[in-house]
Amino acid sequence: MDMLFENYYYEVVGREGAGDTTCFHIRLLPDCTVYRGHFPGHPVSPGVFNIETIRELAMRVTGRRLLVRRIRQCRFIAVVTPDETPRLDVNLRLTAAETGWLVDADIADAEKTYMTFRGEMMAQETRNRNQ
Amino acid sequence: METAAIEQLIPQRAPIKMVDALEHVNGDVATTAFTIRPDNIFLEEGQLIEAGLIEHIAQSALVFAGQRIWQAGGKVPLLGLLGEVKGFQLSRRPVVGDVLHTTIAMGPNVGGVTLVRGKTVVDGEVIASTQMKVSF
Repeated sequence: MDMLFENYYYEVVGREGAGDTTCFHIRLLPDCTVYRGHFPGHPVSPGVFNIETIRELAMRVTGRRLLVRRIRQCRFIAVVTPDETPRLDVNLRLTAAETGWLVDADIADAEKTYMTFRGEMMAQETRNRNQ
Repeated sequence: METAAIEQLIPQRAPIKMVDALEHVNGDVATTAFTIRPDNIFLEEGQLIEAGLIEHIAQSALVFAGQRIWQAGGKVPLLGLLGEVKGFQLSRRPVVGDVLHTTIAMGPNVGGVTLVRGKTVVDGEVIASTQMKVSF
């Protein structure tokens, strides 16, 4: 499955766990072009890039292309930067629901939690690429 | 209404600048516009992903807040910090060529945190809505 931000914004360096909970070890890529604009001379990871990272890692776990249908609550607790917090753990807990998956996730390292996410993702219909 | 250039109001630049214009301001409510171009970094098979929509809504709030400060003679661009996204709902993803019209309703500022409600419309149809907490 093609992932939009994998190997652009982050790379996966490890994976642990099975069943309900999966932990992905990721590294943020300092050369990501987003830092040209966020912000010029002062790289800060956009909070929404971490929402996308969670979606892509949930896609890996489920093997399905997912859409973020609802976000119950997503908190950005501390600033993430490729220089100061290059190595992060993304902890994902997925529960099958009627319309897809409940996704409960956080992004943290040994020091602190940077972000928490609770929302619903649903599988996308397959699109005809020739359309 | 006299408005400042978007680049004057917010620090975001290409490839993550996600507002083209501030269209209307009326009290605590404002509307922005943004056209999805083929080189947008949030595109998956021609569709704008949710992260891109949320970034657009957050930047719309920042543009509105910046415009108010600029009008009052204050210092811009404004550095905003997104603290929370709550109650986001997506009904459909917009696609390349769509023009997003996003209405921002600015709540009171409590201890430096402002509660913002955003709603994005494409061709008259609401495609997404959310609340957020932003620190300006």
